[in-house]
Amino acid sequence: MGQTESTEASVNVNVQTETAATTANNSNHTSLDSILAEAAAYGNKDQHTESIEAKAQKALECPCVADLRSGACGSQFSEAFLCFLKSTAEEKGSDCVHPFVALQSCIKVNPDAFSKDILGEDESREVEPIQEYKIIPPTWSKESRSSKSRL
Amino acid sequence: MEETSASICIDIPNLLSTFVDTFVDFSVSGLFLLPPSPPPPPPSAPAPEFPNSHSHPLPPFPTRLPSPSRLIAIGDLHGDLEKSKQALRLAGLIDASDRYTGGSATVVQVGDVLDRGGDELKILYFLEKLKREAARSGGRIITMNGNHEIMNIEGDFRFITETALDEFRVWGEWFVVGNKMKNLCHGLKTPRDPFEGVPKSFRGVRKELFDGFRARVAALRPNGPISRRFLSQNVTVLVVGDSIFVHGGLLPHHVSYGLEKINEEVRNWINGSTGRFSPAYCHGRDALVWLRKFSDEVAKNCDCSTLEHVLSTVPGVKRMVMGHTIQAVGINGVCENRAIRIDVGMSKGCGDGLPEVLEISENSGLRILTSNPLYQNKGNADVGKEEGYGLLLPEHRPKQVEVKA
Repeated sequence: MGQTESTEASVNVNVQTETAATTANNSNHTSLDSILAEAAAYGNKDQHTESIEAKAQKALECPCVADLRSGACGSQFSEAFLCFLKSTAEEKGSDCVHPFVALQSCIKVNPDAFSKDILGEDESREVEPIQEYKIIPPTWSKESRSSKSRL
Repeated sequence: MEETSASICIDIPNLLSTFVDTFVDFSVSGLFLLPPSPPPPPPSAPAPEFPNSHSHPLPPFPTRLPSPSRLIAIGDLHGDLEKSKQALRLAGLIDASDRYTGGSATVVQVGDVLDRGGDELKILYFLEKLKREAARSGGRIITMNGNHEIMNIEGDFRFITETALDEFRVWGEWFVVGNKMKNLCHGLKTPRDPFEGVPKSFRGVRKELFDGFRARVAALRPNGPISRRFLSQNVTVLVVGDSIFVHGGLLPHHVSYGLEKINEEVRNWINGSTGRFSPAYCHGRDALVWLRKFSDEVAKNCDCSTLEHVLSTVPGVKRMVMGHTIQAVGINGVCENRAIRIDVGMSKGCGDGLPEVLEISENSGLRILTSNPLYQNKGNADVGKEEGYGLLLPEHRPKQVEVKA
């Protein structure tokens, strides 16, 4: 998986501080939400463009996305997520087609790009008994008769 | 300033979740949706929340609506996105770039989006996109359950196509990727695995198709992500002004059972609270979604007296509008236009008919909007009146208006 990203990822973790989480609920906190909403509402470019860019960059350093940025498609994820955060389109993200397609292509080549490397998760699922779930398939989907004995 | 970066991180799990949903939707449908429309906030409300980052409660579930100034009814779509768009275009509901242009119209799609064609998810997504756009212009798009929705939620896949199965297989892959992405963020709770309890194999089915069937079961079974998100919005019976809409047809005992009750029970079933199979009135030849008593192509086979009786039990209702039975001649009415049959078999997968939609408007009454050049309006406003097409059409075909698709 992406070696280049791993250094960035370790930096990210340090950015988070303990006090951060506790102060965040202050009523006067400047959330990314409100900054973006404000920017969208007033379109005050010079002042806010830089601000949004800076906030979005900071957002990328949050612990929530650290693992996502370190995987095989980490850089594509970062680009797409960054673009999404900055998007002020009504259909949020609709101005991010290129980074979205790049992320898609990366995932197609690396289907396990975002798999948790923790063992056991999948095994525990396997143990769970699967009840009978009958479906009625279309005729075209059935195995050919010749391979089965007729009843 | 340090405080700012901390508060940014508080928002990130929610934003990541929205990002992943947007990415998965785009990967499955190629579309970006407007955020679901929240009730407009009062002007004095505090700074708006970031759109889309919180889920809004579903809009009130309609069973009876007042008459809008313009109502458009669209028949069975059966997995044909191109024809669906043509039908919508006929009525001026979308423009060349597929944006909603219907203004304050009310649009009713009478069910059977699923089966017989390969664009089932694409249509569901497209209708969802339009629902949200319509809501912004004061319009409303209402989708209904047909027998094919009911069958697929129950795992009856007899009428699916190979392309459709593949559309679901691809959906499943992206959905799983999305869940894995969410799983990597510790601030988010582990998303529910939609494949939980779904068998890995299906007896008698070719192996290479297992993934497609697994995805289809996962998506469409009660409480499956696609059922919950899209199909649970459907109504099963609907009164708008003086018309009652139902996929197959309504009998007296359905009315006495309670229209609201039917809608609520079917919805609860789709959302997974009442087991695998739908209520009894969704099964059999007399079911609301299966009935053909009022839609037989041969007018004299239609049970007008029962229809009359049913209509008399629903206050204010003059006519029943139905899909379900393909009308080779196009949209038409029987029993003195009290039964309007709008399934024109437009899907390539069944009939490949010319798209037609029904318009009910304050000013012009009942009209058929058709792409059939046979009814070209030759400068005569009265063209298409019942008498005009005696050879080709049943007696009671409302006025036709040819519209460029």
